[in-house]
Amino acid sequence: MPTDAEKEAESAQQLEKVRTLLLGKDNSRITESIKKDARKIVAEVITEALHDRQKKDHSVDKVLQPFVEDSVQLSVTHNSEQMVISLYPIVGSLVRKSVAAFLSDFMEKTNQLLENSLTIKGLKWRLKARQGGVSYAQYAASQTFVYRVEHVFLIHRETGLLLNTVALDNENKSDADIVSAMLTAINDFVGDSFLTNDERLKEQLQSVSTENFNLLIKPGPSALVVAAVSGNPPQSISDQLQLTVENIHSLYLEELNSFNGDNQQFDNTDNLLRDCLLTEQKTATDDKKKTPWFAWAIVLLVLLFAGYKSFNWVKSSQLHNKIMQLDTQPGVIIKQLKIHSLDDITLDILRDPDALNITDWLNNNEMNAAQFKLIERNYYSFDPPILRERAQRIIKAYPNITFTWQNNTLVLAGTLDITKTEQLLNTLAIAGFKSDKNLTSEQLQLTSSLPTLQSKQIQQQIFDDLIGRIAALQLNFPVAVETITPEMHVSLQKLYQYVQQLEPVAKALNINYGLLILGSSDNTGNKTTNNIISLKRANNASYELQQKGINKDKMFVLGLGQIEITAISSKARTVMFNVIHINQE
Amino acid sequence: MIQKKICLLGASSVGKTSLVKQFVEGIFSEKYLTTIGVKIDKKTIFLENEEIQLMLWDMEGNDTYNVFQERYLRGAAGYIIVVDQTRATSLHEGLDIHTLVRQVTDCPAILAINKSDLPATWNMDDSENKSYQNLFDLQFSTSAKTGSNVEEMFSALAKLLLRS
Repeated sequence: MPTDAEKEAESAQQLEKVRTLLLGKDNSRITESIKKDARKIVAEVITEALHDRQKKDHSVDKVLQPFVEDSVQLSVTHNSEQMVISLYPIVGSLVRKSVAAFLSDFMEKTNQLLENSLTIKGLKWRLKARQGGVSYAQYAASQTFVYRVEHVFLIHRETGLLLNTVALDNENKSDADIVSAMLTAINDFVGDSFLTNDERLKEQLQSVSTENFNLLIKPGPSALVVAAVSGNPPQSISDQLQLTVENIHSLYLEELNSFNGDNQQFDNTDNLLRDCLLTEQKTATDDKKKTPWFAWAIVLLVLLFAGYKSFNWVKSSQLHNKIMQLDTQPGVIIKQLKIHSLDDITLDILRDPDALNITDWLNNNEMNAAQFKLIERNYYSFDPPILRERAQRIIKAYPNITFTWQNNTLVLAGTLDITKTEQLLNTLAIAGFKSDKNLTSEQLQLTSSLPTLQSKQIQQQIFDDLIGRIAALQLNFPVAVETITPEMHVSLQKLYQYVQQLEPVAKALNINYGLLILGSSDNTGNKTTNNIISLKRANNASYELQQKGINKDKMFVLGLGQIEITAISSKARTVMFNVIHINQE
Repeated sequence: MIQKKICLLGASSVGKTSLVKQFVEGIFSEKYLTTIGVKIDKKTIFLENEEIQLMLWDMEGNDTYNVFQERYLRGAAGYIIVVDQTRATSLHEGLDIHTLVRQVTDCPAILAINKSDLPATWNMDDSENKSYQNLFDLQFSTSAKTGSNVEEMFSALAKLLLRS
């Protein structure tokens, strides 16, 4: 008896036979008939099917993208004219847009760079980056982003060979081939070393972490997707990696399984991997803003102190300028001015006794003299206003004398006896008035009548004094010159005055006198010429004195020629004077 | 670009790392540093106008205390058993490893008899060793020190892999 199982097997066989009769071997009849209409059937639903699939898992565009790229490339290579015509209308705006985008991106980057480089934060980051031994850009990225996927690898699970890789900045710093091989080795090591259950399912490395860096590993049956993430990766990255692994497996399953080392066929996974390059920027750190009272207080104090100091500085510089006005006053010189504070001022000055009073000046100029420490020393000033003041004070003592000013020269007039004249002239000389500089006393008349009280002895003394003075005068000529110079005029004027004074005294003493005028020359040149030049010098002096009013008869002119005294003979170009006097009877 | 994973296996201190260093960097160092785990290097070579990148898995040497682990062998396109011609034991250890590897994969295998610059203490042509020759697809007498046959061996292996 056939068992139930045998019966079942038999009926199954019969069913199969019927199926083969109806449908043909391997359903060939159906597939053939479908094949005939395949084009029609697919054409009817292809758009909808693509739409539905795209909607479901966004896999259509990823599959289509390489085809589109290839066809565009083909068009550009073989049919560029057509492409140019098609693209021409949009190229202009494209270029404009791209340039604008580049510029704005450039500005943004420059701005960011400046901000990061010049702020305290930027400097701090630079320091931290140096301390941590990482590049500034890396550190800045770690601070700016919560996380950033820098690099994504697609690794063949069996061989550990790199199938494809994409990087955020398109510059492959790490050696992706070695990284993926090493990662596989580590994964194998971990898998073999820590067997947990009896089914001998290998443990799988999920992530490798350092302080600032994470490698997230998402394993699939044939390939791994690994993301190198800086910062703290959120769950969303893991989800995205999972999605990518699944997509890659569904699209490239065959290629993965038949992989023989040629990774070219995985070039198109770029787009899938790029989906994993996720980034999230940090929102501005909202640190709890504590008001730094202490710092503000210090800033306030510093500002107050600076304000006080600058106020003081302004005040004291104003005061300084005001006090320095004193220096422009005649007869006052400020030696030193020290403003210690506004009520402690040291003023060290030189002052002419005829100058203004310092205390009065200070008080008149709205300054409190009590705040000043005055150090005053006297000097004789030759400032014209002081000279005038001083002259006035001196001449006051001589009621008979009047004075005028001609171009800062004091012109004396009036009558005065000889002793008083001497006295006045002496006082004025000490006060800074010299007859060859700023004093004219020609208009001064000596009183003709001598006071009878004067004794003969005094008269004689005056007489002797005057002839001594006359003899002391000497005109010195330059070589081969006989004319009278302005300096000689001054001496001659003195001489004239002495003679004027001599006249009444001689009369009183009954003395006849005459003036000898002796010219001389040096010993260079012809002796005869020297005689002549010496005489000419004496004559010229005599002529000048005549012009002043001395009687020609009272003068005797003589040319001495060379003076044969060794010590002086070479320079004795002079005119000398002497008074010859004879007592009457 | 074609990539191939190649493993270097053998007893310890037969010169696996030195062979890789000579091949990749062209240098040799007398210093001996034992490899722990595995060290991976790569080198790209050109064969018949084709670029081929060899990923070289230099495995730690195996001895009594460090038995062969097959873990790093997965996915290898070919492997090289390295033996030292100054030590007969290294041949036997190499053959043991070869036997173990053959249980896992049947990819092409090459025997590299290294240290050809030093006097040999055994010879492959000896009658007792001759039978071992058939176990390998190719056999080379190399010197990591002089560089003799190193380039040739890797090129020959690459050619073999490209063909298979």
